[in-house]
Amino acid sequence: MVSPQSDEDLVANTLRGEEEAFSQLYDRYRQRIYATVYRIIQDAAEAQDATQEVFIKLYRSLSDWNPQRAKFSTWLYRLAANQAIDFWRIRRRRHETQPAELSDREALPDRGIGDAILTPFGTLKQKESIEQIRRCVDDLPELQKKVFLLRYFEDLKLEEIADMEDCSLGTVKTSLFRATHAVRRTMRRTGGSR
Amino acid sequence: MKRPGSRHYTEEELLMHYLQEETREAGQAIAGHLQECSECSAVFKDYAYLVEQIQSWSVPELQQEAWQARKANLLAHYREEFAGGRSRGFIFSLQKSLLATWNYALENPLPTLAYIAVAIAFALERTISTFRLDRLLPGASEVFEILRQVF
Repeated sequence: MVSPQSDEDLVANTLRGEEEAFSQLYDRYRQRIYATVYRIIQDAAEAQDATQEVFIKLYRSLSDWNPQRAKFSTWLYRLAANQAIDFWRIRRRRHETQPAELSDREALPDRGIGDAILTPFGTLKQKESIEQIRRCVDDLPELQKKVFLLRYFEDLKLEEIADMEDCSLGTVKTSLFRATHAVRRTMRRTGGSR
Repeated sequence: MKRPGSRHYTEEELLMHYLQEETREAGQAIAGHLQECSECSAVFKDYAYLVEQIQSWSVPELQQEAWQARKANLLAHYREEFAGGRSRGFIFSLQKSLLATWNYALENPLPTLAYIAVAIAFALERTISTFRLDRLLPGASEVFEILRQVF
């Protein structure tokens, strides 16, 4: 059996112009990048566009990646989070100027929820909780949003996030706590938490 | 019951403990405290439950066809840019090398200064030897001699 190539090898080959290597990087990371981007933008179509942009940016700036400074996946998540935040800013501005237009999220509140793991009894409550989390995340300041999503969903350690964002570990810890606390407060207010 | 004299932990500390983002010593201290303090233990469990709920937010998988169409488009972009990029290959790799050198210099200023000093001394020695400057400027012959001994 052929063992899968490491990220480092795929990056080196992509930089040499090997399309197959780039294709493998895409297959390896597309779903996770899409998930990161989706949780920030909260719109399926725009998240797909943003994911595409992330991969275009990826091969254009691949030579900037320094393996001594960060793992490839960490570097890529940062790229994805920044790209998604840019999309989210544009989207927010657009919605501020067009308040009557229903957002994708408002129009289809059930999308994006992992129903498969839920029992019929818990489904509704779980959906409500996740909807609250989504709304809350949408309102978080940018750094808090990034830290929250990268820590809880990409499993990056706070130290890695601090390195990535070029800020102190204390700042990242405080950001994560504030974001989590905001979600907790919202869920308590609406009875979604224990 | 909490041991007299021991303090309650903040919510932030308890959350970091749940996420194992504190130092080992702090982790041990908090774990011990949680055994004794029902108040902190309740807050800790509350955060643990909340984090579980947050992490249950899943994103729907996109259909394979949607990915394939996007992938084909992306690879076309990649081909196009790399094909264009190869004709500019020399300039691109020169730019890349200069950038890498510059980054190295910023990260390692002392060794970089040493390399520059050696390069200048070497260039001086070569210039002096080639143009026989020691004959033209006999006053500086001692410096020339030192340089000659170094290289």
